[in-house]
Amino acid sequence: MTYKGWLLPPALRDFHEGRIWLKEHTPFSEEDIEKSIKNKYFHIIEGIQKEPHVKCNRCHNEDLQQFTTFDCSKCLQQCIYCRHCLNMGRVSSCTQLMIWTGPRAMRARKHSLEWEGQYTVLQQQAANEMLESVKGRRFHLLHAVCGAGKTELLFPTVHYALEQGMRVCIATPRTDVVLELYPRFQKNFPQTIIHALYGKSPKQEGYAQLVLATTHQLYRFDRAFDVMIVDEADAFPYTFDETLQNAVQQAKTESAPLLLVTATPSPKLLTQYRNESYSFIPKRYHDRPLPVPRFHSLWRYEKSLRRGKIPRKLKQWTGERLARKEPFLLFFPKVELMKIATPLFQLLDDSIMAVHAEDPVRKEKVLKLRDKEVPGLLTTTILERGITIKNVQVAVIGAESTIFTSSALIQIAGRVGRNADFAEGDVVFFHHGITAEMDDARTKILYYNKKGFLS
Amino acid sequence: MNKIETLCLLCSQPLQSAISWKLLLTKQFQPTICDRCSAQFEYSSTATALYQYNDAMKDFLHQYKFLQDVALAKVFRQELHARLKHEKATIIPIPMHPVKQRERTFSHMEELLKAANIPFIQLLEKTTTETQSSKNREQRNQVASLFRLMDGAHVEHKEYFLFDDIKTTGTTLRHATKVLLNAGAENVKSFTLING
Repeated sequence: MTYKGWLLPPALRDFHEGRIWLKEHTPFSEEDIEKSIKNKYFHIIEGIQKEPHVKCNRCHNEDLQQFTTFDCSKCLQQCIYCRHCLNMGRVSSCTQLMIWTGPRAMRARKHSLEWEGQYTVLQQQAANEMLESVKGRRFHLLHAVCGAGKTELLFPTVHYALEQGMRVCIATPRTDVVLELYPRFQKNFPQTIIHALYGKSPKQEGYAQLVLATTHQLYRFDRAFDVMIVDEADAFPYTFDETLQNAVQQAKTESAPLLLVTATPSPKLLTQYRNESYSFIPKRYHDRPLPVPRFHSLWRYEKSLRRGKIPRKLKQWTGERLARKEPFLLFFPKVELMKIATPLFQLLDDSIMAVHAEDPVRKEKVLKLRDKEVPGLLTTTILERGITIKNVQVAVIGAESTIFTSSALIQIAGRVGRNADFAEGDVVFFHHGITAEMDDARTKILYYNKKGFLS
Repeated sequence: MNKIETLCLLCSQPLQSAISWKLLLTKQFQPTICDRCSAQFEYSSTATALYQYNDAMKDFLHQYKFLQDVALAKVFRQELHARLKHEKATIIPIPMHPVKQRERTFSHMEELLKAANIPFIQLLEKTTTETQSSKNREQRNQVASLFRLMDGAHVEHKEYFLFDDIKTTGTTLRHATKVLLNAGAENVKSFTLING
């Protein structure tokens, strides 16, 4: 006698729990999906909602400009589709989204935290405060300077939540940050199934109780997480794109606490939460002050580069770094200008390379800098955060450009001196005129140093 | 499909439409992509295609056909319109297999012509769901007829103009041409958006 009924495949449950997913894009067989729907394990909603106004039910986009109407050959009617989340598979009026409502996956309660580092007094205090907020299911804002050891601070909170059987998400606007965090969490939480989700991430097996994801990937979750942590909460495009902020709210359960972690909180965030659950760490983990940026005029640098000449001061700075064999990063305001400058710098040393956002081998180039295979990199703001390179020196070219906001400049300066053995380093802002943003960045860094070393 | 785009369809940067006398006094389509994106496309040096295949075109085709972004049909409407508006021969876009079309939810060739406001008719039918891009040159040369006449299609003794998206070995166009000629067409020209 063989069993003739249908059993829910555990893999299907593990994958779909907490997710909102296009029916056509499910990795499971049509038969299993149909059976699950018949058993009411899925709640089915239409992809695009028309009443009271047009809205994408996955990314919550309501901007009419981002919808397109066309004659659909599938439903033979006028169909509307959302261009905002097109890259995740098109959602249109005649597609269906599935939300899991079936039995919950088994959650392990045994999680070990294998971290043997030591907290500084300030870190310990902030970690305790954060843990209290999670226990009390309150919002929490952690404001810590670059290199304060924010990631390690999260460990006790994440560990507590996992042991309580909660599902935890750490989201960040940057793919680079996800890629940086993933191995660190894997190492410190060896018993936990962790998934890293970003654009084009590989398929991962099992039910992940801890998910590291880009904020974009949260469009694909629905009331899934009991604790939601947003790292680098001030980074583009999270602060810029309102639908991403909605996605964070949608991906967590209603009572789940939201924890924001950032080195450069916006004034809005600060005024909102400073008097509530707010932790502030003005000092780095190695107890040395933050490197303060120098301002250096570099008049008409753009013209000079376009004429095929590196300005004298910049050439001198780069030459010094090469002579001392110190790895360096040169930040450019525009990809276009960087491309013009690249061959000029390669005349100084032919292994200097350039990276930008669409560079397919970005990761590899950063690794090469870390392994000292290349002496330095030219880059756009894409490398402003999330990367740690021993003894790196930094120069910003055209620090007066509007793309270099004070938070971007603070982040860039924060690349330097992160290692305890090389706690000092040079941060220079080459400029064609000093802007308020540059002043603001410098003032804030001086303020943090004052705060951190006063008491 | 007729809404005015305020953001570039390819890079989502705000579109700054520079007002020119040409734009005001002649009947032109509103631009849908920014100058930087349109500079990425390379015009073809041949007379039978509009563009040359390159990385930008590869990305375009991926987003248009694979990600099913129908809105992109409008990207080349001005250039297509200019090239095809005086065409006297009857225009026939290369058809898709009905199953494929239902999967993609639209016919990419027809949408291109609709966006460019160019009239066309359909006489052909695709017989297989296989794609040319999955085959190598030899396999392409050996396949059985890819097209047949539609039921009740009437081919007149006149000139026809076949329109396809990309030409690599020319197999698709050769097959379609043969079917039309055998059915009594006087002459068949062909034209592609992209030269592969």
